[in-house]
Amino acid sequence: MTDSTLKVAITKKLKHFQLDVDFEVKKGVTGIIGPSGCGKSMTLQCLAGLQKPDSGEIRLDDQVFYQSDVRINVKPKERKIGYVFQNYALFPHMTVEENITYGLKGKSPEEKKQKAFDMIEKVQLAGLEDHYPEQLSGGQQQRVALARTLVTEPELLLLDEPFSALDYHVKHILEQELIRILEEYYTGTVLLVTHNMEEAYRLCDNLILYEQGQIVQSGKKEDVFHRPATVSAARIIGCQNLFPVHSVSEAGDHLACKAGDLTLQILSQPVPEAVDHMGIYAENIHFRKADDHTDNLFDFTIAGRLKGIHRTSVTIHVENTLSLTASVPNEEVDSLSQEDVKVELPPSQLFLLESR
Amino acid sequence: MAEGINLFPLFLSFRVALTATLLAFLIGIPIAYFLNRSNGRIADIIDTFLTLPIVLPPTVLGYYLLVLFGRQSSLGRMLEEKFDITIVFTPTGAVIAALVVSIPFLIKSARSAFAGIDPSLLNAARVLGRTEFNIFLTIILPLAWRGIAAGITLSFARALGDFGATLMVAGSIPNETMTMPIAIYDALLAGNRDLVNILVLIMTAVSIAVLYIINRLEKKLNKGQPL
Repeated sequence: MTDSTLKVAITKKLKHFQLDVDFEVKKGVTGIIGPSGCGKSMTLQCLAGLQKPDSGEIRLDDQVFYQSDVRINVKPKERKIGYVFQNYALFPHMTVEENITYGLKGKSPEEKKQKAFDMIEKVQLAGLEDHYPEQLSGGQQQRVALARTLVTEPELLLLDEPFSALDYHVKHILEQELIRILEEYYTGTVLLVTHNMEEAYRLCDNLILYEQGQIVQSGKKEDVFHRPATVSAARIIGCQNLFPVHSVSEAGDHLACKAGDLTLQILSQPVPEAVDHMGIYAENIHFRKADDHTDNLFDFTIAGRLKGIHRTSVTIHVENTLSLTASVPNEEVDSLSQEDVKVELPPSQLFLLESR
Repeated sequence: MAEGINLFPLFLSFRVALTATLLAFLIGIPIAYFLNRSNGRIADIIDTFLTLPIVLPPTVLGYYLLVLFGRQSSLGRMLEEKFDITIVFTPTGAVIAALVVSIPFLIKSARSAFAGIDPSLLNAARVLGRTEFNIFLTIILPLAWRGIAAGITLSFARALGDFGATLMVAGSIPNETMTMPIAIYDALLAGNRDLVNILVLIMTAVSIAVLYIINRLEKKLNKGQPL
């Protein structure tokens, strides 16, 4: 029994930077996140054999897909990898059934039909067998793409921005559906590429953060989101408030950090070697009436607002020394201007970073 | 030749044009495929030479072919001695002239049709375990068929109508190498206006019919394919 462990250590020179990554992925869903053009999709293409790295090694359990020093580069058709492309890449001149049977080889036509039929049932496309891709909705197309791949029983499944081609209102439904299909019918390793943090958090177990072809951080999604290690990592996962910190010292069970003219109390946490920044998510900045028991309670002035559908981005100056962005529910925005309302930077929500 | 119209030029023209188009298809499609796959400078140079027949005057082209395949050239002599094939002043020469003037149209159309195929479709097929040749047959050809059919139509029309290159290479031997366009010119010089009118009408009618058939075929083959 194999455990579908994928080991990747590759370099490849790209137009504007060098892709140089080294990671290991086990069963479950792992997300590669990063801004557009950071080498995410290129990594998937190298895994599938559609692009050749300059050097390194790719292996799945004991199968070697690519190894530069012994000149092994297995062809895509022999890697048994499932790949769902960004635009699904359904063959427009083939029906749903023909698309799904396309990857089945060496089987009798009856066997193929039966397998395709079973898969069509599983992804709830029954009745659409004879339709052409252009006659399907975005969600149906995605299910055909998934079915076409899963029916070949791949040991590794690669999903390249699976939701970017979809309308906002169907995205959530389809995410749930994707999770359902994967949970019920797929037991291997899944690697998902996205630039959407929310999506990554909802779908993945583990995350790998990419920037300019390098891995910035990787690990369990909770750790990566709540304890980014570097300024780059914090930026990629969408932390809007990053500011320099001058000193960190122990103060009882807390740490005291100087940022601007402020001294901030934060919860004890591993201090990065070259700590020079702090961060807090916009959603974690709170506002409350002044009292004596709360740590990190400061005066502030409002410098700007940007109203969204549900929440407003409020830019505040804290004690005239620190500029932060807070995300406040629209109905609470007015209460910020009341007297003796202060801003709270909860000690448990602040994290230390190094800029490296 | 008083009353009956000699239809030999009509049949010869179609035989030559059909043969030339078939050859253009068999030779042109692989060339277009490889030109599309390789985007280097060599591909550009090859492409330039393959496009030359569109720009060059047909008589210039015909002259080159005459030099290349004539008795004075080693190629012409070898073909004649080893394979007993004579090119100059034969129907075979007419086919070669028609092929050379018409193949650029097919290659151009096919190449841009191949280039129009979304590369991720080919990648999807690769990951799904197909060989390149199999992908060519199951994905590339069906998806590029519209462009290829247009190329076939164009190259057939060009082959059917060629005058200059054919005249240079194959001459105008009645009942042997005299194709329709040449026969029309011949009849006009002889002052036989009735014959000219009839030949021109026949040529026009048959051309329209052929183009119509190819167009219909193209539409049918494209069912189920998005625009």
